[in-house]
Amino acid sequence: MAETIKTYKVKANDFVFSFDQAAIDAADFIKKSGEEFNLICENRSVNARLLESDSTGKKLKLEIEGESFELEIKDELDQMLDSMGFSTASTKHIKEIKAPMPGLVLDIAVKEGQEVKEGDRILILEAMKMENSILIQSNAVIKRIAVTPGQAVDKNQVLVELE
Amino acid sequence: MKKILVANRGEIALRIMRTIRKMGIKSVAVYSEADRHSPHVLFADEAVCIGPPPSNQSYLNGEKIIEVSKALGVDGIHPGYGFLSENAAFAQKVTDAGIEFIGPTPEAMRVMGSKLAAKESVKKYNIPMVPGIDRAIEDVNEAIDVANRIGYPVLIKASAGGGGKGMRIVEKADDMQEQMERAISEAKSSFGDGSVFIEKYVTSPRHIEVQVVADKYGNVIHGLERECSIQRRHQKVIEETPSAIVTPEMRERIGEAAVKVAKSCNYVSTGTVEFLVDDKLNFYFLEMNTRLQVEHPVSEMIIGLDLVEQQIRIARGEQLAVTQEDIISNGHAIELRVYAEDPLNNFLPSIGTLTKYERPVGEGIRVDDGYEEGMTIPIYYDPMIAKLVVHGKTRTEAIQKMLQAIREYKIEGVATTLPFGTFVFEHDAFFSGKFDTHFVKNYYTPEKIREKQKANAEIASLVALKYWQERKKMLGPVDHKSTSWKRRLAH
Repeated sequence: MAETIKTYKVKANDFVFSFDQAAIDAADFIKKSGEEFNLICENRSVNARLLESDSTGKKLKLEIEGESFELEIKDELDQMLDSMGFSTASTKHIKEIKAPMPGLVLDIAVKEGQEVKEGDRILILEAMKMENSILIQSNAVIKRIAVTPGQAVDKNQVLVELE
Repeated sequence: MKKILVANRGEIALRIMRTIRKMGIKSVAVYSEADRHSPHVLFADEAVCIGPPPSNQSYLNGEKIIEVSKALGVDGIHPGYGFLSENAAFAQKVTDAGIEFIGPTPEAMRVMGSKLAAKESVKKYNIPMVPGIDRAIEDVNEAIDVANRIGYPVLIKASAGGGGKGMRIVEKADDMQEQMERAISEAKSSFGDGSVFIEKYVTSPRHIEVQVVADKYGNVIHGLERECSIQRRHQKVIEETPSAIVTPEMRERIGEAAVKVAKSCNYVSTGTVEFLVDDKLNFYFLEMNTRLQVEHPVSEMIIGLDLVEQQIRIARGEQLAVTQEDIISNGHAIELRVYAEDPLNNFLPSIGTLTKYERPVGEGIRVDDGYEEGMTIPIYYDPMIAKLVVHGKTRTEAIQKMLQAIREYKIEGVATTLPFGTFVFEHDAFFSGKFDTHFVKNYYTPEKIREKQKANAEIASLVALKYWQERKKMLGPVDHKSTSWKRRLAH
């Protein structure tokens, strides 16, 4: 059923690219060994090294100029499956604020029940001798404060819950 | 000296202990509960846990460190940099306990620790200073008089300040009142000392410093200059020596000035005299750092001296074995500080576990670090992972070697300043040497790193597709769905 696959999507770290077969054919690819390749694309000669690959060859890890990339290839069938509804809705209501990094809670600027506006400071998180303000991204009401000043928190630990 | 305690952690503790061992001396590590797995603890001959992770309960606990030193029969304490290294009271207590403090005298630290006292100290030596007033002022009218005399823009600085805190630029007389009030209040809250002074604001400044080495007998030499103009948040990220702009004649003059500053406070041990250099190559005394500097390895690479070894020899009463004539610049050295910070996100700390950690190796490449693969970067301390230092015959060669070393340095699990390093070393302004302390503000945007990452990500995607398609072709028969279906039917 998938005899004429036309476009491919590739996720590379946090980038996504689309290629058609013509673009793939235009690049000149050779294998230097099982894990080492060279690609000439628009006159640029680039060496790449295969670090990991799953059994399908669609999920792999490559290194280019010292930088490593997690890659995932999606052919037309994969893209169709994705569009059939496994993608998540992006307009989720924010229910809580989590710590973006491990650190120490220094100062909490809000109270339970308080209405806050987008950009308001919720608390200050100290990490590596630097003070980082944690701001809120939308208007909300503080339901519960889950931490206390002086407390050490892990990454993704809930700091405050919102109504 | 038979046993030295290193009152520090991370890369600098390890670096100091390597020299201690080389000299046939025993080393003692102190560590907090967060650092049990740290290389400095594993490397030391003896190690003592001195408290919980926060530094004020461990690495800043001078009493405890002296107590441990006495119990273990330590005869010297090396403070490294940061923590207790410039704490005159600690140095005094160490000395009073009959232990040698490997560093300057408490008195020299006290004088140079206050910017106003430092200015007073060097006054009689004719050291060029930024035009301004060299005593604390509070009166706004007096401030305006001074500013009119030296010309706007001016800088209000806290006497006890450092790291950019308590500094304010004033462009015109109308703003003086408010800026003075805010500077005084900021200085009071940050340093407990509200005294401020005023200097001319140098608009295109470079930060150039001179290494000095002094023994206990009044012999002082300088170990040439270091250029430290590439900074973010008023903190250095890249240092090099020699500076691309210092001429032999200027090198001699700035070196002499640094030696005089050291002499003015009867300095002993290694220290650094910092200067501000304007666009006409005039240099002005800024301050003296009374410790071993983070960036000392670049000097070691071109002058061929182990500065920690010099500190220990000086502390045990030896005379300097080298004279100024022996200090000859050999080649070019550059250092990149590898911080666990995200250059794409405002250099915010990026904390996590080093899931991959491979150092570059090769001739002329030196990595001073305090981590191994699998270790987590603790939240309690400075986010520096390592110092990547390279040496080349020329500046161009050193830059190329640095770019290569960055490519070979494999760090995963946290964001680092390595991509920022690549950005700087590939930038025309750095290559030509025409840059100042505003480099980041003038040239750097995260988008430029993102563009490059995107280009490489696109190439990686194409390689992945090519690899996958070729593999599919090769594995064709096995991948054939109808074949496996038939096999299943046969059972």
